[in-house]
Amino acid sequence: MADFRRSHSFMTCWIALSASILALLIVHGEFNCAMAHGIGGKDASFVAATKGADILPFMYLGAKHMVTGYDHLLFILGVIFFLYRMRDVVIYVTLFSIGHSITLLAGVLLKIEVNSYLVDAVIGLSVVYKAFDNLGGFKSVFGVQPNNRIAVASFGLIHGFGLATKLQALRLNANGLVPNMIGFNVGVELGQLIALAIMLAIMLQWRRTASFERSAVVANALILTAGFVLMEYQLAGYLVGAKA
Amino acid sequence: MTEGQISKPLPAGRMLAITLGALVVASAIVFGAILPAEFNLDPFGVGKVTGLSRLWAPREVAFDTSASTVPLAREYPSGFRSDTIEIPLRREGDPTRGDELEYKVRMNKDATLIYEWSVSEIPNPEEFYYDFHGHTLTNTKEMTVATYKQATATSANGALTAPFDGVHGWFFQNQSVSPVVVHVKISGFYELISPGDTGNEAGIIANVPADKAFGEK
Repeated sequence: MADFRRSHSFMTCWIALSASILALLIVHGEFNCAMAHGIGGKDASFVAATKGADILPFMYLGAKHMVTGYDHLLFILGVIFFLYRMRDVVIYVTLFSIGHSITLLAGVLLKIEVNSYLVDAVIGLSVVYKAFDNLGGFKSVFGVQPNNRIAVASFGLIHGFGLATKLQALRLNANGLVPNMIGFNVGVELGQLIALAIMLAIMLQWRRTASFERSAVVANALILTAGFVLMEYQLAGYLVGAKA
Repeated sequence: MTEGQISKPLPAGRMLAITLGALVVASAIVFGAILPAEFNLDPFGVGKVTGLSRLWAPREVAFDTSASTVPLAREYPSGFRSDTIEIPLRREGDPTRGDELEYKVRMNKDATLIYEWSVSEIPNPEEFYYDFHGHTLTNTKEMTVATYKQATATSANGALTAPFDGVHGWFFQNQSVSPVVVHVKISGFYELISPGDTGNEAGIIANVPADKAFGEK
């Protein structure tokens, strides 16, 4: 617990900063969660028009993609839900980041094209997996407990493919590809930290309440439901053959 | 206790119940809301009941109506028909949104229609707007749209040769402060659209006086 106390003032600063960035995004109408989570509109035209290194805008796009990406956010929420020690949070989030960075960079560089509906369906599955695991489902129903660190890193790889497909759908120019892509990746990590700070702040308060264990079951049941919705939605999109 | 898990794992029975419940709720959301609104799929008809189906719209592809290669003399397999349609429109801004509607007929490619419509109650022709257009009937991702004329006027006469199979007709909008009746006369090679179907969503009945246009009250 001492761990948390010490980091309290640091956390307050983080939350204030994150909240103001979020507020800015909302004010500018950047929250566009209506459709399948992609990069669109003026951002897509910007990327298509970019020739050469333009790191900061790509960082912004990466951060925006993460902060507004409910699929990634739900998974991260599931991962940290029952992590009580800051050290564990850092380990798991790092594993997830390493996982998605590998496939994001490799996917774009090697031009690996995966159907974005299928990737997003597996990302939905990752949300289902983590919520099910959080409630102890694997041990009680199947009698086996998969290694959670390996699971989170593996799903990180899938989330990275999702990021890579979204970025590749934008006709990236070969000129400046590597710095731009790395900028996007760094942005993704920054966005993730912002989101994580807000989640942790809420979780810390929530865990202090007496009814936490009970409401935690309900919350994970809801995350499970949301995961199923995402999965079925993306599978439907794949089967219908709608344009990504 | 396993790292990153609840301190007291749920028993298998409860776990299965929660998973099944989540799956059922998720499927209800997907089949009841997301499929109708995003993909135009409505296996259980829920989207039609809730109106969510209306959120879906195919991408519109504009059709160039300026050129045609249709021969000037044409023959059609069956005889022509004539209909008179009286369309009552409420005053502008009426909360029921009864101040505007669409009335179209079904036509095959190259079929011809001649028409005459007028609104007598409006002294100022700028207070009545119409959009004469046609579009294909589609459940797929694209819909071809041909715009023939968009203008303000209180009457128009003319002829149309359909550029493609589909529904063709008018969007009428009353912008005046008084209720009006649009008198439409059409003749040619077309079919009327049953009230409620695409092209006649407002449910107008043809060949009856204006007060019966929406059915017996």
